[in-house]
Amino acid sequence: MRPTPPHRAIKFLRWFCREDFIEEVEGDLIEIFEMQFEDSPKKARRKFYWSVLKYFRPEFIKAFSNQNSNYLTMQRHNLKLTIRSFLKYRSQFLINLIGLSTAIAAVLFIYLWVSDELGMDKFHQKDEQLFQIYSNHSDAAGISTWKGVPGLLKDELETVPEVESSTVYTDTHDFTLSSNDSYFRALGKFADSSFFDVFSYQLLSGGNKNPLKDESAIIISESLAQKLFGSTDVIGKSVTWHFWEKQKEVFVSGVMKNTPNTSSDQFDFIMSWEFYHDMIEYKQWGNYYARIVVAINNPANQQQAASTIDKIFKENAQTEKVTLFLKKYSDQYLFGNYENGKEAGGRIEYVRLFSIVAFFILFIACINFINLSTAKASQRTKEISVKKTLGASRPSLINQHLTESVLISVASMFLALGLVWVLLPQFNLVSGKALSFAFTWPFALTAISVVVFVGLIAGSYPALYLSSFDPIALLKGKLAKGKGEVRGRQVLVVIQFALSIILIVAVIVVQGQMSFLQNKNLGYDRDNILYFEREGKILENSETVLHAIKQVKGVEGAALSGFIIGGGNSTGGVDWEGKTEEDQIQFWEIKAGTGMLELMGMEMAAGREFTEEFSADSASVIINETALEAMGMEDPIGKTITHYTGEKKIVGVVKDFNLISLHTKIEPMIILYNPKETHFVIAKLEKGNEAQTIQGIEEVYKKINPGYVFKPQFLDQDYEALYKAEQRVSGLAKYFSALAILISCLGLFGLSAFTLERRTKEIGIRKVLGAGQFNILYLLSGDFTKMILIGILISLPVSYYLADQWLANFAFHISLSWWIFALAGVSALAVAWLTVSIQTIKASNTNPVDTLKSE
Amino acid sequence: MKAPSLGEFEELVLLMVAALHNEAYGVAILESLETKLSKKVNISAIHVALKRMEEKGFVKSRFGGITADRGGRRKKFYVITAFGKQALDQQYSIRTELYQQIPEISFN
Repeated sequence: MRPTPPHRAIKFLRWFCREDFIEEVEGDLIEIFEMQFEDSPKKARRKFYWSVLKYFRPEFIKAFSNQNSNYLTMQRHNLKLTIRSFLKYRSQFLINLIGLSTAIAAVLFIYLWVSDELGMDKFHQKDEQLFQIYSNHSDAAGISTWKGVPGLLKDELETVPEVESSTVYTDTHDFTLSSNDSYFRALGKFADSSFFDVFSYQLLSGGNKNPLKDESAIIISESLAQKLFGSTDVIGKSVTWHFWEKQKEVFVSGVMKNTPNTSSDQFDFIMSWEFYHDMIEYKQWGNYYARIVVAINNPANQQQAASTIDKIFKENAQTEKVTLFLKKYSDQYLFGNYENGKEAGGRIEYVRLFSIVAFFILFIACINFINLSTAKASQRTKEISVKKTLGASRPSLINQHLTESVLISVASMFLALGLVWVLLPQFNLVSGKALSFAFTWPFALTAISVVVFVGLIAGSYPALYLSSFDPIALLKGKLAKGKGEVRGRQVLVVIQFALSIILIVAVIVVQGQMSFLQNKNLGYDRDNILYFEREGKILENSETVLHAIKQVKGVEGAALSGFIIGGGNSTGGVDWEGKTEEDQIQFWEIKAGTGMLELMGMEMAAGREFTEEFSADSASVIINETALEAMGMEDPIGKTITHYTGEKKIVGVVKDFNLISLHTKIEPMIILYNPKETHFVIAKLEKGNEAQTIQGIEEVYKKINPGYVFKPQFLDQDYEALYKAEQRVSGLAKYFSALAILISCLGLFGLSAFTLERRTKEIGIRKVLGAGQFNILYLLSGDFTKMILIGILISLPVSYYLADQWLANFAFHISLSWWIFALAGVSALAVAWLTVSIQTIKASNTNPVDTLKSE
Repeated sequence: MKAPSLGEFEELVLLMVAALHNEAYGVAILESLETKLSKKVNISAIHVALKRMEEKGFVKSRFGGITADRGGRRKKFYVITAFGKQALDQQYSIRTELYQQIPEISFN
């Protein structure tokens, strides 16, 4: 008997070896094996295994993909058919491509925006550990929440075991800096020496180890260094800081990188907290002038740390009305609103809103795809039934149609990427961001998942539906599924239009509220009022300045003012006769010179304004109506209240005006007569010639105050800045909802074209039998009208609910009247009619002879 | 185009194919080479050389008839082509030429 070579080795060889070599290789191996077997069977076997292994190299290994050549061929076939069907049904393909690619582009934009919003302030290395100390102030009106805490708290924090490190600083403010007699405006703040330990703003090397320790230290950003000195190698150079009547020469002790775009706090320089703290007069436990951020050892200890800090605070401040708590530093940006001491959303609502809108838009585009592919199905029935007859299995047909949808979604993705690339600058303009289109893995992942999502969601229904046809019935010419299929398409169209109408309502409501805010009578006149900060010489001879400005042509009046839109200072340090423990109220505090109220168009409810005739006004105060009500005084004129700076006589009551923003109700306020310490000069300009007038004022300014930068600001612009977030959102919402309705109409257009194509004969016969053009139009538009009406019915309650929720964010808002919804519905209907009518009119005009003569 | 190169081992195999004429197949080449070189050669190395030379056009191959030997597998016979012969000649002439240039003196 012949020796047999190892079975397994041969099997392995046959598995991997190229078919055209196998016989030769196997033969030679066996021959050698047989020869060696005579000497030593064991050795021969071993050798055989070894030799087989030696063939396991590229030259001998077969192309494994060839094994599944059938599968590959099928894929190639599917691809070819897909491309052919794209070419054949060009309009459908284009509608899908345009719809999907714009939808995907919108989704990508929203993704970029949302991820930028979510990434705000997350760049700090200790992000997880950083918490801002907040204070809740309860008074008769409820609880108000502030970021401010007493600066004295900072030194006490060392005793809190959970706190690793902490930093105290002020908000960013616009200051004047000068160097060698050139003046610049720059955003800056004061912070203590641990600022850079807690936060991850980057210092460039070369500066001091502890750059904020020295009272006369300043850290400036690279761009500010370039502006001041034209170089970034500026350690030790001198800069003079100006604020109001104060000045200080400071020396650059460090240069930091510009604050990153992802930081919600943008500033160009930092000065020493010690300097600031020594300078101010209001260092008390009752004043909330500082911001403190702590890094705690373990985020889980947040509650514990907060209660310890609160205890320390209460012991020192001797108040039960204020409670301190901790909030994660990076959460402030998105969850910034508080209502009665409780977190009440913030920008996160817009993030959520846009995420939902992105999903809506994508969904609408997918519906188009589904509708058009199932509608076109009747034209592809022959192809499908022939395939089925020839033995194509259902999975392979599903596979074919999924290939088609995935291919179109991939193509749309590329088109969308191009669109994003082109439109990004425009988008940045509208959204006020500095987004860049850089490749990142999360972005790639999002893009891929969108492609897969669209490909599968949009493709699966048509694939399942088309592959379920019964070939015999189809080849006999029966399209068995009549009603149900049409119904399904109609439901999808209804959903599309319902979503579009919700978006339209949203846009109308947001726009309405925005224009309401802009035109609302706030109780003062904010148009054409210019103000600038008092600095340098303007502090000393303010009378001369005011006089000179009043002389400028086009100036109606000028005054000293401490009025800042959005608030300013607030104090609890006001006492009056009959004040009880429950009456602990916070008052907004404004300093003013003579004539300010009149200039700003504020009306007096009682008493008088500060005027020059009454030289004793230095101890006078004006309160607003809300304050009067809160204090419960009757006949207030001439009564005295005790302010923390001394006794003040009430000389007038001003009618309520809205100081903060229309998000909040009007709060109690006192206006102190203190021209020496007011921060601004305001001037009212005549309408029409503002540019020239401003130039005139600038000339006066330059003459009196040489060197300083004249930086006029306008009250109405400040006011608009308060609603920047809302305005941005309303701008974006407008674009996205326009897109949504556009995509919906695109789908409707495709669908109506298809329906008409199938009904050409019917229309022809109807015309022959005497139907008029109007009859035909009525017949054809009727179906679509019905669908859209149902869409309107569904969307109205939903959109009412959503709009109501959003408006609740504003203390003052428009009411939701019926016309908003009517307008949304009618405009959707009109756009839909317009879309459909392009084709129905064409159809009703065709000569029946053309459609009927051939079968 | 550059003429296909002929490696050292390939040259040996090609020489053997030419020498064995018509009777050159894997195992025969292996055995003759092993005797001539008096060292062990693996059959896979010979197959690789043959495949490569066939691709380069130095040899061509045909199958022999089925026999009871080798588990019924046919032998694959290789013959040298004119192109292969030319490559061999070239190689040979270069070597001889170089060899003759060796000065006598270098051995002293």
